[in-house]
Amino acid sequence: MTNHYIDFRNADVILNMGGNVAENHPVSFKWVQAARDKGAILIHVDPRFTRTSTKADIFVRLRSGTDIAFLGGMIKYILDNNLHDEFYVKNYTNASFIVNPKYSFDDGLFSGYDPTKRAYDGSTWALEKDENGIPKRDMTLQDPRCAFQLLKKHYSRYTLQKVTEITGTPEDDLVKVYKAYGSTGAPDKAGTELYAMGWTQHTVGVQNIRAMSIIQSLLGNMGIAGGGINALRGESNVQGSTDAGLLFHIWPAYLPTPQAHLATLADYNKTTPASKDPRSVNWWKNRPKYLASFLKSTFGGKATKENDFGYSWMPKLDTGQDASWLNLFDEMYKGTFTGFFAWGMNPACSSAHAGKVRQALAKLDWMVNVNVFDSETGSFWKGPGVDPKKIKTEVFELPCAASMEKEGSISNSGRWMQWRYKASNPPGEAKPDGDIMYELFKKLQALYEKDKGTFPEPILNLKWDYETNGHFDIHKVAKEINGYDLTTGKLLPNFVSLKDDGTTSCGNWLYSGSYTEAGNMAARRKKTDPTGLGLYPEWSWCWPLNRRIIYNRASVDLDGNPRDSKRALLKWDASGKRWIGDVPDNAVPPMGTDGAYPFIMKPDGVASVFGPGLKDGPFPEHYEPLECPIEKNLMSNQRINPVVKIFEGGLDTFKTCDPKYPFVCSTYRVTEHWQTGVLTRWLPWLIEAEPQMFCEMSLELAKLKEIKNGDRVVVETPRGKVEAVAIATSRLKPFRIAGQTVHQIGIPWHFGWLHPKDGGDSANLLTPTIGDPNTMIPESKAFMANVSKLTKKQPAKKG
Amino acid sequence: MKITRRTFLKISGATAAGTVMGGLGFDLSPAEVYAQELRIKGAKETTTVCCYCSVGCGIIVHADAKGKVINSEGDPDHPINEGALCAKGASLYQIAVNDNRLKKVRYRAPNSNSWKEVSWEWALDKIAANIKKSRDASFMEKNAKGQVVNRTNGIASVGSAALDNEECWLYAKFLRSLGLIYIEHQARI
Amino acid sequence: MACKQWNQRATEKTINWGSHQNPPDLSYNTWKLVRFSEIPGDKVNWYFFPDQCRHCMSPPCKEVADGKAKGAITQDEKTGAVVFNPKMKIKPADFKEIREACPYDIPRFLPSTGIMAKCTMCFDRTKEGMLPACVKTCPTGAMNFGDRKDILEKANKRLEEVKNVYKDAILANPDDVRIIYLLVDDPKKYHKFAVAENTIGITRKMALKRLLQPLSSLNRLIG
Repeated sequence: MTNHYIDFRNADVILNMGGNVAENHPVSFKWVQAARDKGAILIHVDPRFTRTSTKADIFVRLRSGTDIAFLGGMIKYILDNNLHDEFYVKNYTNASFIVNPKYSFDDGLFSGYDPTKRAYDGSTWALEKDENGIPKRDMTLQDPRCAFQLLKKHYSRYTLQKVTEITGTPEDDLVKVYKAYGSTGAPDKAGTELYAMGWTQHTVGVQNIRAMSIIQSLLGNMGIAGGGINALRGESNVQGSTDAGLLFHIWPAYLPTPQAHLATLADYNKTTPASKDPRSVNWWKNRPKYLASFLKSTFGGKATKENDFGYSWMPKLDTGQDASWLNLFDEMYKGTFTGFFAWGMNPACSSAHAGKVRQALAKLDWMVNVNVFDSETGSFWKGPGVDPKKIKTEVFELPCAASMEKEGSISNSGRWMQWRYKASNPPGEAKPDGDIMYELFKKLQALYEKDKGTFPEPILNLKWDYETNGHFDIHKVAKEINGYDLTTGKLLPNFVSLKDDGTTSCGNWLYSGSYTEAGNMAARRKKTDPTGLGLYPEWSWCWPLNRRIIYNRASVDLDGNPRDSKRALLKWDASGKRWIGDVPDNAVPPMGTDGAYPFIMKPDGVASVFGPGLKDGPFPEHYEPLECPIEKNLMSNQRINPVVKIFEGGLDTFKTCDPKYPFVCSTYRVTEHWQTGVLTRWLPWLIEAEPQMFCEMSLELAKLKEIKNGDRVVVETPRGKVEAVAIATSRLKPFRIAGQTVHQIGIPWHFGWLHPKDGGDSANLLTPTIGDPNTMIPESKAFMANVSKLTKKQPAKKG
Repeated sequence: MKITRRTFLKISGATAAGTVMGGLGFDLSPAEVYAQELRIKGAKETTTVCCYCSVGCGIIVHADAKGKVINSEGDPDHPINEGALCAKGASLYQIAVNDNRLKKVRYRAPNSNSWKEVSWEWALDKIAANIKKSRDASFMEKNAKGQVVNRTNGIASVGSAALDNEECWLYAKFLRSLGLIYIEHQARI
Repeated sequence: MACKQWNQRATEKTINWGSHQNPPDLSYNTWKLVRFSEIPGDKVNWYFFPDQCRHCMSPPCKEVADGKAKGAITQDEKTGAVVFNPKMKIKPADFKEIREACPYDIPRFLPSTGIMAKCTMCFDRTKEGMLPACVKTCPTGAMNFGDRKDILEKANKRLEEVKNVYKDAILANPDDVRIIYLLVDDPKKYHKFAVAENTIGITRKMALKRLLQPLSSLNRLIG
């Protein structure tokens, strides 16, 4: 999140699209309601009417997978009606930047497309620079090749009529939303957007969010209180785990994992983002310092300048290699792995095409499964239809401590790092995960000491000294992450002191400042709120530098005065030569006419209206989901995203416009369950409230398929089938798309065959193996399925 | 004489006048009836943060003298939730107190149809041996292009957004020192 | 859940019966239940009614119990909470009468033990200055707890605001109960027993019956 949860209360208009905030982030609705109590309005856009919709001032429906069409229409409306914040657009975005003359867009394709590779050569999207390497600009925004005009041209095609045809949302409803949200373009109005998997789980997921970023940039809502792009993330510490680099493509703090062609540290550092523009802070230019300090925290004293701080001991990807989730399980299915860790995860239920994962697990020699309860992954070898005698996989199920049985910190979606304490001991022989991995690695080090084996260096040289009195000490790890001045041995105050010469160490530069000589900042509990905007700067600690709203220098004018006195997030104190309010982003004087731009993490220093860095184009464009109900994309002749990787054949079948699978299906959540249900299905109070897999459908569809509310049904796709209880409801309604009636159904993905016995199995047995080209997040929110009454079985009896 | 649901008894002035007969001691006030103190009196209070979604609500867990969890409810001092909790957070007690919790290390041998309880020592030793075997067998110093990659192609990992920050960092360190590149977790899905 | 957690109530086996409302009804173990009511139409109306004991000012259940099973139901002096005795066995026939006396159909009973149970207004918490579990856990401020006078004032003020948008909004039996619901639509759309059918005075027969019984509830007309 660019902002944070309490900040929602500062908005005038809250758009919840691509998410269902009241049901899945229920307590945050306290702050949505607080905004409404002050007169704010809530807009909810969703294929179905949910508990969020009951409180929405404006609720409109759209077909799953058509968000870009919807948002494209909003961009057009904003531009046509001049609702954008002109000052902001000119000064804080790249709208005035001139684009390469070779850039073009035609019939769904941007310039530079290679159909054989299914990829773009993005060189024609580059921004034009002058002889000094500084982007050329037209501050009048009139030049036909400036980003602003190109934006206008691109979205001129997203007329109300076209958008209605694609989304199924009536024109009146579109205008209602556009007008209400567009009103936040005024400098004294703030609009915030809350999204979740409804936007990310698509083959156009990243572009969905990009579309909203463009809107927020046009309306001047980035970097202000009550504004921002706010991801409602799903897990208590998915923010922290992402920050820690537990993904193939990043090391901690978003340092890109090195690729094979970057043989040395110097090669890697040559790719450091650069900017010749003196007005661009380009904070990432400091990356070499963070990398060196990270390697020092990894290999300690063994990392020296001479050995590139151990750079070559770390594993590299092949150039362009994608080792993300869908590819990982594809490799597993092909038998590439002999060993596997499912540490606090349940991929047998959480993965798209879960059936493929369940089969893939059987190809392993061994699997280590660490969890609080047993799961469909740990017990995959005795799942439905599985013959244990045929499964060779050795499985180690290690019992671990639950959240209240250990001490440590987690980071919420608002980047708040909060320390929590141990209330009780884990049951039986269960241990905290930290203890388990600590001991396991010590054993590995001992094995490699004894018998060197293959390339033992990274293992033997790893800094692994996090104990106190013979016990694993989590505080030592927290301090390692914060970082040390190695010349003095003192904890660093923050990342500004990091160096690239090996005299500092820091596990994660973003978290530097969280555990300093002053103490454990994440454990703070003071409720001061000097700005009155709900920042609570002394409660816990947030990254970076405890800055609560990022890009906050976009909230002031060129002299450093808040543009909205009601939401004075930052103010420049000329006499004291400092900023008052939130921690400034960053501590340079006001921009004036030649000062630093506010978006310091971007090489050009400004928000991107034109975004050349993504794989599928600089402007979001509507494409249909892989499996969709209409034969043709009404926007262009490119039916699907032209750069998605298609997993071909075998288990990875998909069917589009197939009469056998006529209904658009989406997966979602309920308040009473969480993710695959491993932490909720075993809890009697929660399973009592939502005991079984269900399928929601409109009353019209129920009638069509002769299904009564409460009947048992089966939902089917080419990949699998799942039984469910039908909930026939008026909260779903059929859509009118391109002249035909399209029905939508929805299923929760919380269930699994292991427990309870009559609960139902995972919705992911149905979802397809396809993901967004930039992130590879699977398209679970829009695929085609069939639902029919289960005639052979009796309705489930009360047991 | 039956009193039906549809009627609502109200005491009218006329009837009250002649029937004041208080203090006969027949009505026990609930304090005596329950004869118990506030069930969390004297309990140890620990602050934690909810383990479900990413709002990060504050929770207070109460444990008795023996260290057993007896209650969990919202932390009224926490600025985000101010003591409130959703259905999941409010049920946190049932994660702490639950017969189905995994309490012992379990091992499933190849082709077996059941779990076997084993010790930590045995399991971790065997796992370490397996890791070494898989790693040594699948380690790649140079890729097909002859570039140095120093990675382990034969082991993958998924997990976890449920780990603490410090554990996540430690885990990433652990995996990468082993040379893994197939490292993923919930953020990807 | 907060109610179940505080009161450590057990669970019952449930199935999805075509609704998100589960358990389907109040019970010996379920003292508070959100009733879901979907009103189909062009504009969907989805009402949520968090059903629980109303802690009536003059509880009819207690009136019956005082006659049939003295001590089974008491009313807390300080808070007005109407409390079922968790240790007292009741005859099924008596329970039936007690349940039917309730205009809101709240009392529940475990036949195997003969014990009745329902919401206690968390009087064990409130007497220590803590909020009832459900009130504390509600994130949106939908529930407010406090001195009756303040609450009535707040409720009436809110009613006036709400009436601007929802002309049919009412407070449910505000003079007769301590748990006052603000409903924006016809109560029947929420739940069959959202409001008491009528609030008439005592019939002559009842008044007579009353004269023959010790009547101490008069002392508990707390405002």
